[in-house]
Amino acid sequence: YSFSVEGDAIKVYVRVRPPSEGTALTDGDQGLCLSVLSSNTIRLHSKPEPKIFTFDYVANMETTQESVFSSVAKSIVESCMNGYNGTIFAYGQTGSGKTFTMMGPSDSDNFTHSLRGVIPRSFEYLFFLIEREKEKAGSGKSFLCKCSFIEIYNEQIFDLLDSASAGLFLREHIKKGVFVDGAVEQVLSSAAEAYQVLTMGWRNRRVASTSMNRESSRSHAVFTITVESMEKNNDIVNIRSSLLNLVDLAGSERQKDTHTEGLRLKEAGNINRSLSCLGQVITALVDVGNGKQRHICYRDSKLTFLLRDSLGGNAKTCIIANVHPGSRCFGETLSTLNFAQRAKLIKNKAVVNEDTQGNVS
Amino acid sequence: MAAADGGWAAACEKFRSARTLSAVESRKDPETEPYRSKYGARALLQEVKQQLSAAEDCGEARLLAVRRAVLEYELGVNHTDTEELSAGEEHLQRCTQLLEPHRLSRDCVSLYIQAQNNLGILWSERDEIKTAQTYLESAEALYNQYMKEDGNPPLDPSEHFMSEEEKLTDQERSKRFEKAYTHTLYYLAQVYQHLEMIEKAAQYCHTTLKRQLEYCGYCPVEWALNAATLSQYYLSKQCFMESRHCLAAASVIFSQAGQVPSTEDSETEQDQQDLRQRKAEIARCWIKYCLNLLESARKLLEDNIGELDPDRQLELKAQRKKEEDEKENGRKKAVLFGTSDICDSVLAMEEKVSSVYPLDFQEAREIFLVGQNYVQEAKEFFQVDGYVTDHIEIVQDHSALFKVLAFFEEDYERRCKMHKRRIDMLEPIYADLNPQYYLLISRQLQFELADTYYEMMDLKVALGNRLEELDSHTVKKINSLAQLAIKYYELFLDSLRNPDKVFPEELEEDVLRPAMVAKFHIARLYGKLITSDSKKQLENMQMSLEYYTFLVDYCEKHPDAVRAVETELELSKEMVGLLPTRMERLRAKLCPFI
Repeated sequence: YSFSVEGDAIKVYVRVRPPSEGTALTDGDQGLCLSVLSSNTIRLHSKPEPKIFTFDYVANMETTQESVFSSVAKSIVESCMNGYNGTIFAYGQTGSGKTFTMMGPSDSDNFTHSLRGVIPRSFEYLFFLIEREKEKAGSGKSFLCKCSFIEIYNEQIFDLLDSASAGLFLREHIKKGVFVDGAVEQVLSSAAEAYQVLTMGWRNRRVASTSMNRESSRSHAVFTITVESMEKNNDIVNIRSSLLNLVDLAGSERQKDTHTEGLRLKEAGNINRSLSCLGQVITALVDVGNGKQRHICYRDSKLTFLLRDSLGGNAKTCIIANVHPGSRCFGETLSTLNFAQRAKLIKNKAVVNEDTQGNVS
Repeated sequence: MAAADGGWAAACEKFRSARTLSAVESRKDPETEPYRSKYGARALLQEVKQQLSAAEDCGEARLLAVRRAVLEYELGVNHTDTEELSAGEEHLQRCTQLLEPHRLSRDCVSLYIQAQNNLGILWSERDEIKTAQTYLESAEALYNQYMKEDGNPPLDPSEHFMSEEEKLTDQERSKRFEKAYTHTLYYLAQVYQHLEMIEKAAQYCHTTLKRQLEYCGYCPVEWALNAATLSQYYLSKQCFMESRHCLAAASVIFSQAGQVPSTEDSETEQDQQDLRQRKAEIARCWIKYCLNLLESARKLLEDNIGELDPDRQLELKAQRKKEEDEKENGRKKAVLFGTSDICDSVLAMEEKVSSVYPLDFQEAREIFLVGQNYVQEAKEFFQVDGYVTDHIEIVQDHSALFKVLAFFEEDYERRCKMHKRRIDMLEPIYADLNPQYYLLISRQLQFELADTYYEMMDLKVALGNRLEELDSHTVKKINSLAQLAIKYYELFLDSLRNPDKVFPEELEEDVLRPAMVAKFHIARLYGKLITSDSKKQLENMQMSLEYYTFLVDYCEKHPDAVRAVETELELSKEMVGLLPTRMERLRAKLCPFI
């Protein structure tokens, strides 16, 4: 029998940012393409029929940073302390408020700012929980936190903590799962330190501006914290380890390569080479095949491979889909909501990463 | 006039620069300004366009219209390239309007087709796939009409801005025209896929691949991978001949990849690594081919208890003999890849493995051996250190190959040995695997190990039944195999428990059937354990009863589950009815005086 993924569905949160200054005036009739109906439904003013979407949580324009953190990230950080792997994705078009949601207001010291985002708050909370644990358990329990920060650009992996490094490889270890071979790991002792490492790496990311978009991140960035706890109970050493992945996806308008793209056709390059997406078409054809034995070449993208555990694996995962309410963004908003809708169908099975290492005596 | 000629030469020069900027320079644009060269090209094209409208009244309306159409086309593509769809659409529409009256003529047909290709892409970017489809299908129709009515190599759009002496050869014209049409088919393949017209999409993929070969527009590695993947589509449709053809072509074309010297800087370690991986991927497609062919044959040959049915075997052999004569006709010319010499190599490659169902052990073994060779080849690259998932998948296929080969084996001792081989390859991997990260695979291995032990035990029982009396060695063997099967089924069931070690009240759909089957098999296994100790026997029966009862109770509580385990449920109910009486009798025998 073949059986596949199961368990908890991925949680999907949608956040609507306020329209940027001026948009509302120029677009007339409020210029909004959606309205938030309740804390979990959103109506998109599509024609001829408006469309209603339901999610785990919808944050309207007034929702505070603190409340987004509480409803989205808090429980994931908590389960990370209990030995589960956790992943938080940010998704959305450029200018939809992803960076604000995740990091906070740009160009400021986000770590102390009252509008700081999900990431700095997660760090604070994680280290708060660690300290509390330590106090509770006394000398019997110790923690080790490490982090790495990588970027996936054009299907290549770069280390944001080591700008000199060339492309890195993804590998699998029979005991340790998927890892980036050669990625720098930094030991963390506090939330402030974690934030410092993050901002340093963030500056190394690839961004680009076009006449349509002021600035768009062209890469996916994955910041991973490994939390390892060791507890000695009589002669038994109990080790738990878990990962917290914070993922900033490239602007959704740039995601032509990650299967998130709706219906677009792939263009043949101008260059006298290949029709490189024919393979994807064929792969899709085979994918819908009827559960027969088959092998599909070029299957995993680097991102899905790295986060395989988070997408239908052993993790608690949530996606924050950010949308801009302006009517000009209708197309992008629709595609973001459609993506989020699909993401709800992915199921995860979370397992505690516990490994009891034999008694010593 | 001379001034006008000079102006024209300048216009041609600008046009050429614009194309170079767009196609060559833009690839070197910095990441922070990805469209710098495209914007540069756009400015040049606008200048040429203005120049042309200034020259409006110099007669030659048709020539002017065509030149304008070329510019509109280039501008249209330029705007869509830089994410400005609406502007792009306007330009492309103007292009097709200008060309409409002349679209079947030699100087316009190629441009018209390319404009329609691009309108197709543009509409698909707006998620209007039906609109895209109409443009592309009309491009396809135009190509066919032109080839039927004229067929001479048409002008390439760029030639409209070239001096006489620069114009292309007919051969080059034809090559470019065919390439534009290949793109039409390639876009249509995508359109049909999006519209879920699967068969049609596959057919267009196939034709695109075929044309890439014909017109030498391919990168061998990529082509080979596409063909290998397409073979997997045919596998899912049970079209083994087509599947084999795609794979053979993939292997032949892939072997060219190593010979072509890399155009860019010298081949790096990573390229070599990539090449080895691709080779292993193709090997894995071959493994699946062998496995599917064997498994499909088994389905044809098995009787209602899953054993080889000799009558059916004879019948199928006779039928095949009859069909063999017609076989050659069945080979559709249209699906063949490649021109003569490639074709010969592909045919030679095909001869190494059959594409018809194997009907006896000998035939099955030949396919098995081919599959096993590819297993070795794939494992050379996908080693467990670094490629855990891939490696294990290959081992699982290897195990599946043995399993299906065992079906064809009539000698039970030898069949048992084949299953032992499966155990030997699966068990050590399972022992090493960390279920924290590989929960799914870990479960699959638990289940497969359990099933294999179960099968071996059944074989030993069958062998034992042929003896006059069970010797102690056989009894020990049967019991130990049964215990091992139980152990792995239990491990599988344990993996379903939540972190607090509680078995779920309601099973997820994906694991429902495996979990129920595991319970059912455990029940049966306790029933098979052989012991002369009546008390022990009673205990085993009690265990058996508990597991059967689980099935019955679960289905009562969750009627939806019945569908998944109908046969098992029926048998369980029967056993739940029978066992208590039998146990009663045994108890009575145990303590006859109470």
